[in-house]
Amino acid sequence: MTLTINNLKKKSKDEIAQMLGLTDDLPPSKEAALERLAELGIPTKKSEEYRYFDVESLLDKSYEVHLHVPKEPKIGEKIVIENGVIIEVPKGMRVYYDQCDALDLTHYDPIYYLSHLLAPHVIKIDLDGDAEVELVHRYTHSGALLPYRIVLFNQENRHATVYETFETEEISESLILYGYDMHIAKDSTLRLIKTQSMDENRYAMISSNRIKVNDHANAIIKTFDLGGDHALQLLKVDLGTYSHIDAGHLLYLNHQAKRGTVSKINHIGEHSTSQQEAKNILDGNARGIFDALIKVEHSAKWTKAHQNSKAILLHEDAYMAAKPQLEIYIDELEASHGATTGQLDRKQIFYLQSRGISYVEARKMLVIAFANTLIETVKDTRHQERIQKAFEKAFYAGHKELKR
Amino acid sequence: MSNNKNEKVLEIKDVHAKIGNKEILKGLSLDLEPGKVHAIMGPNGAGKSTLSKTIVGHYDVEMSGGDIIYKGKSIKDWEPEERALEGIFLSFQHPVEIPGVNNAYFLRTAVNAKRKHEGKEELNAAEFLREMKKYLELLGMKSDMISRSLNEGFSGGEKKRNEILQMMMLEPDVIILDEIDSGLDIDALRAVSEGINRMKDGKRSFLVITHYSRILDYIEPDYIHVLKDGKVIKTAGPELVAQLEEHGYDAIEE
Ligand SMILES: Nc1ncnc2c1ncn2[C@@H]1O[C@H](COP(=O)(O)OP(=O)(O)O)[C@@H](O)[C@H]1O
Ligand SMILES: [Mg+2]
Repeated sequence: MTLTINNLKKKSKDEIAQMLGLTDDLPPSKEAALERLAELGIPTKKSEEYRYFDVESLLDKSYEVHLHVPKEPKIGEKIVIENGVIIEVPKGMRVYYDQCDALDLTHYDPIYYLSHLLAPHVIKIDLDGDAEVELVHRYTHSGALLPYRIVLFNQENRHATVYETFETEEISESLILYGYDMHIAKDSTLRLIKTQSMDENRYAMISSNRIKVNDHANAIIKTFDLGGDHALQLLKVDLGTYSHIDAGHLLYLNHQAKRGTVSKINHIGEHSTSQQEAKNILDGNARGIFDALIKVEHSAKWTKAHQNSKAILLHEDAYMAAKPQLEIYIDELEASHGATTGQLDRKQIFYLQSRGISYVEARKMLVIAFANTLIETVKDTRHQERIQKAFEKAFYAGHKELKR
Repeated sequence: MSNNKNEKVLEIKDVHAKIGNKEILKGLSLDLEPGKVHAIMGPNGAGKSTLSKTIVGHYDVEMSGGDIIYKGKSIKDWEPEERALEGIFLSFQHPVEIPGVNNAYFLRTAVNAKRKHEGKEELNAAEFLREMKKYLELLGMKSDMISRSLNEGFSGGEKKRNEILQMMMLEPDVIILDEIDSGLDIDALRAVSEGINRMKDGKRSFLVITHYSRILDYIEPDYIHVLKDGKVIKTAGPELVAQLEEHGYDAIEE
């Protein structure tokens, strides 16, 4: 089946169902998703959450919808998901297909619902104990629309970590609709360390996520988005009593990239705390996005919310769309937010050059110095080095034709 | 010492240089001889720092005339890093702070860039640290200089010692010291001078820029050049220092 998502614009629930080939006897979660999608409508450039992202041109293309056929995964070191199909799972780890039974009915993103509707099932990952797992996504199809979703649970009182990376073959013109429904159990910690290096013109991604942080739980979400192309990660985070999120987003973009984060962090429970930091380095014609709202509900007394974005533009054609926002309904709280955009310091570059370090190398050292405060929050040295390498690779790729 | 009067490592020939629209160097000529210590003295605002910036290719400076010949080649169009790799070193009057760039990592990158340029084997982290510690001790620097960010939060004296540390490890052929003595207490001045004197090997040249003769008690100059209003107006032997101290720059005639 081929699909042009923009054709679903302004259509009714039934029309959408028909166009997506969804039969009458849908499970309740899909019924609800359909309702929400019809209500929210297909995103356009006027949609608030997509205003800095070229969503219309992506959704205007016709894609071959690629629906996954489950097969028996092999036992390996990591979780590997290829084109939405689980192909490798570590021994004893519970990774399986299931129906989605706990959809978030108040998500702001229509693509959250669309991806749920298009994905025939979800991939469930139950993290047992203090699991530490690597999750690799791999894409091998061109011109494909690939919808798939992960539902992730961890256990109470446990501290689990997921290291997520993305690989691709030499594909082009694909669109991936992906995302998590993450349920972080009471008194637990879940760390998600995502590194996504993208070449120009391989695939675009809209990753739409829901993160429910239960009472006294910690979410640590660190994203390292590197390279080119188009990708937007949309986060909706709901914080319970005494829960905490620590979110860090590093962007290094080059070429014509348009990437970044749109997030809504909702403080619902009392004494919930959030900390969100974005560091953005933009080269070439790239556009970085950090459009982030922190909302403190009436119920969320004594919360703390801190949010900050810093950007460095390496090229005069680069652009940062930074929009940190606070929406507050109470006054018993501690909150701050801010955004800055600047350039590398010429004096610093010159100092390094005057010691025999090349212009490109000097810029790299300064850019890494800027990025490192985020990279160093990844405590595991092997993964920290891996991220640093990925960063350097993206940096050098962007500097191939660098002129001063 | 050579008697060949033509032996020069750096020749600054009738250099005119602007910062912004203002001409600062107005036909400045100066030759550096190998193995010699040349002191440049002159009042504040004379153009001493501009001269040092011109030699290392600073972006502030636009050379509008003349030439700079280093080891027989014109370097006026060279990138700053090429000048450094070929052996020109400037100790800055005001070294810049670079948060997040580790001091040891920075210096190893610089040392290895130069070694690579010279076709030598690069130093690994352990080899480099051994070397660095040796020099830290010699200069009376604390060992936390290894882990701190480059010049970040350094005192004036620490910054100058760090410049000298870089100088010693990079082993340049022409060393320009811009007001290395400013803001140093007597201990730091001694340590820094000792470092500089150690680098004297009969081949290296020094250009010691100062508006204050104190440093010249420690680093004995061979020549004194007086820079005023963008030109060298007088060159003489070390005896000129006493004269300048007594009568000031205004008494100097071309
Ligand atoms: N970045 C700059 N922009 C504008 N004017 C400058 C700059 N740097 C130096 N100057 C001017 O150039 C002249 C010479 O300065 P400088 O070379 O620093 O003198 P010195 O080192 O001998 O004290 C001074 O009049 C100073 O004001
Ligand atoms: Mg000066």
